[in-house]
Amino acid sequence: MMLDVSLRHRLGAFTLDVQFRAPSGVTVLFGRSGSGKTSIVNAVAGLLIPDEGRIVSDERVLLDTAAGVRVKPHRRRLGYIFQEGRLFPHLTVRQNLGYGAWFAPKGAARADLAQVVDLLGLGALLERRPAALSGGEKQRVAIGRALLAAPQLILADEPLAALDEARKAEILPYFERLRDSVSVPILYVSHSASEVARLATTVVAIEAGRVMAQGPAAEVLGNPAVLPTGAREAGAVLLARVVAHHADGLSELSAGGIPLLLPRVAAHPGASLRIRVAAHDVILARTRPEGLSALNILSGIIHEIRPGGGPGAIVAIDTAAGRVLSRVTRRSAAALGLAVGQEVHAVVKAVAVATTDIGAA
Amino acid sequence: MTDWLSPAEWDAVRLSLRVALWATLINLPVGIALAYALARGRFPGRGLLNVAVHLPLIMPPVVTGYLLLLGFGARGPIGGFFESSLGLSFAFRWTGAALAAGVMALPFMVRAVRLSIEAVDPRLEQAAATLGASRLWVFLTVTFPLIIPGILAGTVLTFAKGMGEFGATITFVSNIPGQTQTIPLAIDLLLETPGGEGRAARLAALSIALAASALALSEWLSRRVAARVGGQ
Amino acid sequence: MFSEPYQNPEFGVSHSHPLHIATACALGLAVLIPGAAHAETITVFAAASLTTALAEIETGFEAASGHDLVIALAGSSALARQIQQGAPADVFLSASPDWMDVLQADGLIEPDARFDLLGNRLVLVAHGDAAPVEIGPDLDLMARLGDGRLAMALVESVPAGVYGKAALQSLGLWEAVAPQVAQADNVRAALAFVATGEAPLGIVYATDATADARVTIVGTFPENSHPPIVYPVADLANRDTAAEAEFLAYLRGPQARAAFERQGFAVLAH
Repeated sequence: MMLDVSLRHRLGAFTLDVQFRAPSGVTVLFGRSGSGKTSIVNAVAGLLIPDEGRIVSDERVLLDTAAGVRVKPHRRRLGYIFQEGRLFPHLTVRQNLGYGAWFAPKGAARADLAQVVDLLGLGALLERRPAALSGGEKQRVAIGRALLAAPQLILADEPLAALDEARKAEILPYFERLRDSVSVPILYVSHSASEVARLATTVVAIEAGRVMAQGPAAEVLGNPAVLPTGAREAGAVLLARVVAHHADGLSELSAGGIPLLLPRVAAHPGASLRIRVAAHDVILARTRPEGLSALNILSGIIHEIRPGGGPGAIVAIDTAAGRVLSRVTRRSAAALGLAVGQEVHAVVKAVAVATTDIGAA
Repeated sequence: MTDWLSPAEWDAVRLSLRVALWATLINLPVGIALAYALARGRFPGRGLLNVAVHLPLIMPPVVTGYLLLLGFGARGPIGGFFESSLGLSFAFRWTGAALAAGVMALPFMVRAVRLSIEAVDPRLEQAAATLGASRLWVFLTVTFPLIIPGILAGTVLTFAKGMGEFGATITFVSNIPGQTQTIPLAIDLLLETPGGEGRAARLAALSIALAASALALSEWLSRRVAARVGGQ
Repeated sequence: MFSEPYQNPEFGVSHSHPLHIATACALGLAVLIPGAAHAETITVFAAASLTTALAEIETGFEAASGHDLVIALAGSSALARQIQQGAPADVFLSASPDWMDVLQADGLIEPDARFDLLGNRLVLVAHGDAAPVEIGPDLDLMARLGDGRLAMALVESVPAGVYGKAALQSLGLWEAVAPQVAQADNVRAALAFVATGEAPLGIVYATDATADARVTIVGTFPENSHPPIVYPVADLANRDTAAEAEFLAYLRGPQARAAFERQGFAVLAH
């Protein structure tokens, strides 16, 4: 299942001009606030009609301005999860959940209510009304409602932006479960690098209305040239498998054969995880350091050094565990004589990796 | 109890209730449709429509009555059409009184419902559309339940106005006991007759009691609806 | 034409210029005669059937006297009620003696400032061109009406309606026609029903029928079928100014008489 999007639209300060594909899994539109991401999703939903464009969902043409095709939002077979939830205040949670199901065409593959309630932990909330729910609970219901509409495409516009950190941490796993249990493409808008790192199968980086890069998450996030939300948010994603949990509260993982030690992760041995390693938490050394407190040392070859506007530079290193990004000062890069092709050691403190940066793979 | 008012006066009460009821029943769909068009519609002439709806509020009731006479009387273009194709006549009949009451009360219904519709977050309507609801279904399942308080307010105002309408009624359908002599017209007649003040006062008291009951009922209904939406 | 006082070196000196003397005299007289140069507003409550005639009289009187007339027109019954409740009217022109008697009994009029001003006839009118009828006990009013309505003013309170009902009763026609009567708030409103064609027939004053070209008089009620139609006028007791007396005098004068007779009224006062 595939979503093809191509559109051009005047948006006040700049012109939106994008073209990308979203396969199964979560495709994140990643960019700063105001870069046009919400407009793109609204165009896919039919809530915004672009000046020019063509949108095809799984071989159904939803929009083709050249051919004069414009399918109305209610016929696009979508499920849209909004930032503010937008639950219907006069209906119970159960009725909200069932709303989309009522309008789905007869032959559509329907999700099972019990399954969705289970997936999102909504059992206790079914007879309540939205006014009696917390922010996090509302978003979970919003996810369930979108799912139960038997959509061919799920849209999510910064669904976690209105929640505090604790709620975000609570809800993010539900999106991971969503990604892992449905086969329809999920188009997800976000400006948070850690959300992207955890959820994205595919990343489409957007800046000022243009696509800067698109591709598998690890690739795009590991590309030092692509920093839509700035250098501070740079960080690559590693795929690791849980090996064992140690008695002293650490877990041992293996990423491409390289051992990683992290504070205890909430996963069973054998589970696959994504680990986001923030670039500013990575120290580089020309020789393998000894006597350091840091537990994780990944050796690799420098792929690219990209100076930034200020005193910093991002170094991209290819290791057996995957691409790692490190943010250093240009002075240090020069002092160490870093150059492309060199062997270098990346040091990562175990405790530097936040639990929010660890997600199901 | 029955000799508290004379038979003619009880006739006036029954007629008033009938007139007010029908004025309200017809104004509900018309008023809701107009309110929706004015609140959510984007079409040329919308401003003009808004002015037209408010005319009965601004024009002297006698003028409105006279215009109704010209348009809906037996010789009027619309009145003639209704009579020949639907067998429905307004001139000098209670139907005309109901029409006059309805027209005079329409601005109240439209205003109340329109304010309610504008208070409904359009983003909720958008959300409903993305879940598969066509514009009509969005209205029926999302907008309408949320505007019920406004509809109730408009209904009470329409009913009260229908019970109290005078100028347009007497100018359009005159004062005919049993057909068009509603409570206000009966009271007017009694006031203009020497010695009729006592009976006029009794009729007025009854009219106030009826309007107050309608208001109380609508307040109670409003509270119940608000409780449902509020999360009880 | 006039000498330029500012340029005349002799201005301000006691020079007996004829114009100055004339002006001084006029001003002196004006101060001495109360209200003569002071424009007053007179509020007149008058029966609706006098609308057209009074419009003409208003212009004439205001031009001649310099006073301002405010004329309120409605059914005599409504106006009398308002006066009873203290409405600030100066003169009352009623379409029947009954309502004037009510006010006199309440002490609201100047008793020696009341006189019968006008007379009128009661007519049957029809919409547009219509054949005349003989108004008598044999009149087949029901046939002429068909299932249409007979437009009249309120038959219990407005004089035109009261006279009309009395006339029909004395001719033995009331019982049959009563269910088909459409009562209007005042005689002009009843006229409007016939003028627009909504009611085929109506009973109004002869003067109303002349006022509207869309109706035709098809018959005149015999004078003995109803109490005499007399329009009394009175100066109300709430104020007593020379202007009011002036207006009452004007109503008896030649210009007013001509205006009333043009509308078809019979002028009783001289």
